[in-house]
Amino acid sequence: MTIIHHYLRKELLILLSFIVTLFFLAGCEKQPNLGQFGNSNVSDNGSANIVVVDSSTIDLSTVYVDSTATAATGYLMVGTYNDAYLGQISSQAYLQVRPPASLPPLDPQLDTYDSIGMVLYFRKSNPYYGDTTLTPTFVVNQVDTLYQLPNYATGWFSNQSLPLGPDLGSTSVSIAPNLPYTSQNAGDTVKIRMDDALGQQLYNMIYNKSDTMTTLTTFLNWFNGLCISPGAGSQGVIYGFKDSSLMRIYYRSNTGGVSVTKTIDFTLYNRASQWNHITNNRAGSPLANLATPVSVTQPPPLTPSNLTGSASYVDNIIGLTTKMTFPFLNSISQRPDYVGLLRAQLTVIPLAGSFNTTWTLPPQLGIYSSDLHNTLLAPVFSTASSAVQTGGLIPNYFAPLLNSYNYDVTNFVANQIVNNTQGSNQVGIMLSIPSPANLSSFRRLAIADQSFPTQQRVILSVYYISLYPHQ
Amino acid sequence: MKRSIFIALLAVTSLRMMAQNNNAPYSQLGLGDLEDGYYNRTSGLANTGIAYRSNRFLINNNPASFSGLTDQYYTMEIGLRGQYISYAGTQVNVGATESADITFRKLVLGIKLSHHWGSSVGLLPYSTQNYEFAVPYNLVGTTVQIANHYYQGHGSVNRAYWANSYEFFHHLSIGVDASYIFGQLNQNDIIQATANGATLVSTTNNTNLQNLYFTYGMQLYGRLGRNLNYSLGATYSMKAALLAASTKLVLNNDSVTLQNIQNDEGYLYLPQALGLGFALTDKQKYTFVADYRYQNWNGVAAQNKYPGQAYNIASSERGSIGFEISKKKTFYNTRVELSYLQTGLYYENSYLQINGKQIKDYGVTAGFGVNSLKSPLSYSVIFQYGVKGTTQNDLIRQNYADVTFVLNFGAIWYTKGKKFD
Repeated sequence: MTIIHHYLRKELLILLSFIVTLFFLAGCEKQPNLGQFGNSNVSDNGSANIVVVDSSTIDLSTVYVDSTATAATGYLMVGTYNDAYLGQISSQAYLQVRPPASLPPLDPQLDTYDSIGMVLYFRKSNPYYGDTTLTPTFVVNQVDTLYQLPNYATGWFSNQSLPLGPDLGSTSVSIAPNLPYTSQNAGDTVKIRMDDALGQQLYNMIYNKSDTMTTLTTFLNWFNGLCISPGAGSQGVIYGFKDSSLMRIYYRSNTGGVSVTKTIDFTLYNRASQWNHITNNRAGSPLANLATPVSVTQPPPLTPSNLTGSASYVDNIIGLTTKMTFPFLNSISQRPDYVGLLRAQLTVIPLAGSFNTTWTLPPQLGIYSSDLHNTLLAPVFSTASSAVQTGGLIPNYFAPLLNSYNYDVTNFVANQIVNNTQGSNQVGIMLSIPSPANLSSFRRLAIADQSFPTQQRVILSVYYISLYPHQ
Repeated sequence: MKRSIFIALLAVTSLRMMAQNNNAPYSQLGLGDLEDGYYNRTSGLANTGIAYRSNRFLINNNPASFSGLTDQYYTMEIGLRGQYISYAGTQVNVGATESADITFRKLVLGIKLSHHWGSSVGLLPYSTQNYEFAVPYNLVGTTVQIANHYYQGHGSVNRAYWANSYEFFHHLSIGVDASYIFGQLNQNDIIQATANGATLVSTTNNTNLQNLYFTYGMQLYGRLGRNLNYSLGATYSMKAALLAASTKLVLNNDSVTLQNIQNDEGYLYLPQALGLGFALTDKQKYTFVADYRYQNWNGVAAQNKYPGQAYNIASSERGSIGFEISKKKTFYNTRVELSYLQTGLYYENSYLQINGKQIKDYGVTAGFGVNSLKSPLSYSVIFQYGVKGTTQNDLIRQNYADVTFVLNFGAIWYTKGKKFD
């Protein structure tokens, strides 16, 4: 052996080179994929698992509010249809019109009154619901009383109406809503010829520059307003016309020896005073037993699904929303293996056979929390986003059972699953069409309750983390 | 400066050991992969060295060997291993069948305290655990929704030892190795979403193990005729109970703690172990060694409740032989070893019996060592090729190739730099 204690540079170089080479060789490789080996040999070390419970009891109820704020929706909803689930639904549109701000000068030597009518516009994206192959009739009436809110009322609601005078005119017209085109061959416009006596009267007042025409308040108190209603025997569909619709006086003017048609338009006075009066005759329908409020201070009553054809319903504009309660949800958290909630998903499947290309589904269905007073509260947000959930329906009318609204209800279930307070089983989820479509369109959703087969009903899937305490 | 670089490299190596190790599928069972290598002078002999004695190197194979160190000599050894594994079997995804790693394996020191008394302390691996599997499964309560169980285990059980041996009658050495076994085995079970791999819930089971473990050794050696030297060796380890303290930590998908359980303490038993060996050296040049080792795992199988499904613990055996050629030179009447060549064969029945098959491990080794004449360093490089496991019965076969580097530093103590033998 040696006593020399000097490290040689060459030895260190060899040593370092060797180590670096080992590093390099090791670094070139990636970890292997040993696939399924663990299937049969995996250690049973009592790890946490994920358990799915999709058999939670869900109580479905239809909540009814007797009036909805149908004013200022932007649409004159007119028509009637018979819904197999909700009964007969009709809508009238009330509106006030005003004379033009500057009245045209009329010369009796040159200008001659021609006619008066309503001009209703149905644009391409306007709402409609029902069978559009049928030909509805629209009737125009003048409001036969002061156009003013009842005492203590703060706005116009769907259950309010005003007395009407005799019919001023009507028309039967079919509309192809997706083009849109009407059978009057006037594009997307529906015209209703009105009573010429009224037209002549208005024409003369304009000619005379009557105070009634020049002072708006006077005109409104004199003329009151108009109502467009479905005619007797009308059926099949409700259309939503733009509130830019108007009443128009046509007159002829001799201009250089040529007769020219001219118009005087009475446009919408005030959007806030335009509302749709909606009636729902539920007799004979599954909703015949719907609980309705008996006093104005009563919270919206709910009707269990077993009283309404084993289904609950959503059609906000007629006051219908669905409330879901989960009476035994907190029993999941009392399972011995429950250690925490992973996520929860609510799948709402429309009642099979209740929808088709005529009776289409609401494209969006919001989800909200609701208390024991059946009040619509804050939206139920998903864990990933603070955006309102709308169900993500992808309509497939050729495969009805593939249609579903899906929601992440983890946040709701996380609170409710440990809620043991009194009345907690009446805290639930409300399904409601989000604004503004909730009050500007008729779209009905029927939801099958748990008396239906699994694939056809509403399902709450609770994914919880399970750990057995004895392991 | 150079020393600093070297230390830094070692540190990096150690870190790497923790960061990425070879996937060892059988290590999820029992205590993990039991270490049967010593990373020393006998590594090129297929770790055959129960009867081996050396005046320079630390032979941990038998605690009785330390009395063979040169008087007033102290020495230190570190070991580094690079390993490449190729995996085969029906369970192995053909897209990724290989892995490689490099790990720091040991640090030991030895000293000859007196003419007959040798002592050594050090840190050696006892077992290691490193595996990962992804297992698709149906969520409980559904037959259509699938998630992924991602099993991951890592950890090691180490052995800090202090061994002493004493020579009697110039032909008999008796030694005792008192080891403190300690370590932690971590098992993670992560349930992942199949769509994006996001963690849904994870369970971490940590098991801390510790206790003392004694190994006794004996070597009987002498001369046979003019050129032959013989040595007989034996080792014996008593059954030992490792105190096992385990915890279970359950985290949800937001890494919020759902459960943190301290389980009752228990014991895992290490078995009685017996080793026998002999060595025969001709003209101080040619050495033939042979070993047989036996561990009585059957004797503790009933007491050990290892988690797992389709496997059993069984007594293990290992047989090995080795042959060495040593090149020596005489300086001032002292025979000094310049270099050596080694080769060996081994065959082992491991302590794991899976799917009715006891896992076997066999292979060949070759080593080459150089003792520097201009520094107190000695280097050895060992190549090993082996096969572990089988592709039968849905098992995995690992073909592995190791390159081990052992660095030995030795010097005289208490002599102001002068060396005598």
